[in-house]
Amino acid sequence: MANANMLWSSAKILGFPSPIASNVRWARFDYTFRLRHRPFEGSFFFFNSLRFNCSSSNANSVCNGKQYLVLSDEELMKQCEMGTFKASGPGGQHRNKRESAVRLKHIPTGIIAQAVEDRSQHKNRSSALARLRALLALKVRNPVDLEDYSPPPELLQILPLKSTVRPPECGPQIGPNNSKFLPGMQALLDLISTLDGSVSDTAKLLGLTTGALSRLILSDDALRMAVNDIRMSKGLKPLK
Amino acid sequence: MRLSIARAYLVAPHRAKSIRPICSSSLNPQIPLFLRPPNYSVTLKDFHKWHNWAKILNCSVGSSFVDTDNGPDSTLLHRELKWLVQDAVEDKSLSSELENEIEQNPELGLRNVRLKVGIEELYRLWKQRIHERRPFQYIVGCEHWRDLILSVEEGVLIPRPETEVLVDLVEKVVSDNEALREGLWVDLGTGSGAIAIGICRILEGRGRVIATDLSSIALAVAGYNVQRYGLQDLIELRQGSWYEPLQDVQGKLSGIISNPPYIPSDNIFGLQAEVGKHEPRVALDGGTNGMDELIHLCDEATVMLKLGGFLAFETNGEDQCKHLVNYMENNHKGKFCNLKIVSDFASIPRFITGFLNGAI
Repeated sequence: MANANMLWSSAKILGFPSPIASNVRWARFDYTFRLRHRPFEGSFFFFNSLRFNCSSSNANSVCNGKQYLVLSDEELMKQCEMGTFKASGPGGQHRNKRESAVRLKHIPTGIIAQAVEDRSQHKNRSSALARLRALLALKVRNPVDLEDYSPPPELLQILPLKSTVRPPECGPQIGPNNSKFLPGMQALLDLISTLDGSVSDTAKLLGLTTGALSRLILSDDALRMAVNDIRMSKGLKPLK
Repeated sequence: MRLSIARAYLVAPHRAKSIRPICSSSLNPQIPLFLRPPNYSVTLKDFHKWHNWAKILNCSVGSSFVDTDNGPDSTLLHRELKWLVQDAVEDKSLSSELENEIEQNPELGLRNVRLKVGIEELYRLWKQRIHERRPFQYIVGCEHWRDLILSVEEGVLIPRPETEVLVDLVEKVVSDNEALREGLWVDLGTGSGAIAIGICRILEGRGRVIATDLSSIALAVAGYNVQRYGLQDLIELRQGSWYEPLQDVQGKLSGIISNPPYIPSDNIFGLQAEVGKHEPRVALDGGTNGMDELIHLCDEATVMLKLGGFLAFETNGEDQCKHLVNYMENNHKGKFCNLKIVSDFASIPRFITGFLNGAI
């Protein structure tokens, strides 16, 4: 077995002490999961099946997914433990092996993101961080106050131009390939989740037809999957 | 003796076309595969034939290299093969998924694939990888390190992922101390120039770097890399052993960084074949206990650094780190402060860092 002589070591990243508050509750993971699922190459996420919800989290922990997304890379990194392939043997000059895989575990939420396909550790770390951001947007739900609801600017930016609530100064529509899509996607998921998965109710609040909002949701696979997770949990049919 | 970067770098792009052996000891550094022009062409069918052949070769390795000397297994070789394809093929969209389509539509297989190296050479290169255990990085002529892609070739140590941390350490130090950012830094035994280039970019054009190496090939390759990143005005290359070519900057250095040879001589024989049989021994062998060079670097740092200057060295691991810190605390009492041992990503104590005592 290829990986039999490797272990994941959960090394705290140098210079970035993780602020693990003893009373923060986070999900426990089956660490052997990764070994059974080998198709690591290419982009992939480590989804875990747990829902992260402010109500279920310890009150002392910062549990606002919006706050995670506005953190700089370095600040976000401080909330993570970094695991790397622990090379058997002395490493350094002794070895020629590109075991530059990086796994980040976001301590407050327990979300894990990993990158292995890049050729340097540095790049794998950036890729893993980018994936972590996407996962935070997809997985961490924040309640939305529906009274006097007006969509936040990050959400308006990802809406199609025909939305009646979208002011012209929002500029062109931001698509899934833009990093600014993530906060918008998060705000959209928060709203859909608060409205119990109803696309039509959400569309009304966003000044869109149900069809137009569905098209937006279906334009990104990760978003579609996250919306369908919400809908299934509410007993609704998935969007196709 | 100073080596002019210009001389080392003068490699006309068309040179890649000549059928020069890919392993060369001339002072003209080899151009990494990914930078060569796509002057070769082969049908998709033949390309896939090679690719399948290479995959089967990888599979035949199984865990035999792991068992002999902790070398690569089939999985790692597959990944390297994928990277070789990335570097050798002009059309980035070419993927192995096409394979199935060829079976369904044989005409697709007649399409031409543009390559940066001939198909016979690809066979030869992958045979070298498997049968001779030639390091992958020498095969493609480059190594991805931090956010850099560095040219490497036989005669030059392939920069290791662990060493990426040395640059992070410098980044931390200069972000706390702007005066150090504007100073003069040295990378001793620069090899491919990795550390020097990494540091220079951290200094954001405000400080300068001198990179030294004993080896002419290393300096030529470092010069090529420095030039490729446009840092020739900020990084100076000097030939010589450790501090020898730096006598004019004695006591003026803001920082000394080095990844010197640190493997104990007795261990050289048992090294992974890619390392022991192909990389320059002079960059690996640190003498009886592996610390000959490290001790020398520490001793001289006391006169080379300016007051408050920073040093960071890579070591073989925990024993060397502890030994060095003890040595500096006892043999150079009061000279250094903030001596620290820093671990690498695999939690192995790997680096020592410290400052020369005194205000700047």
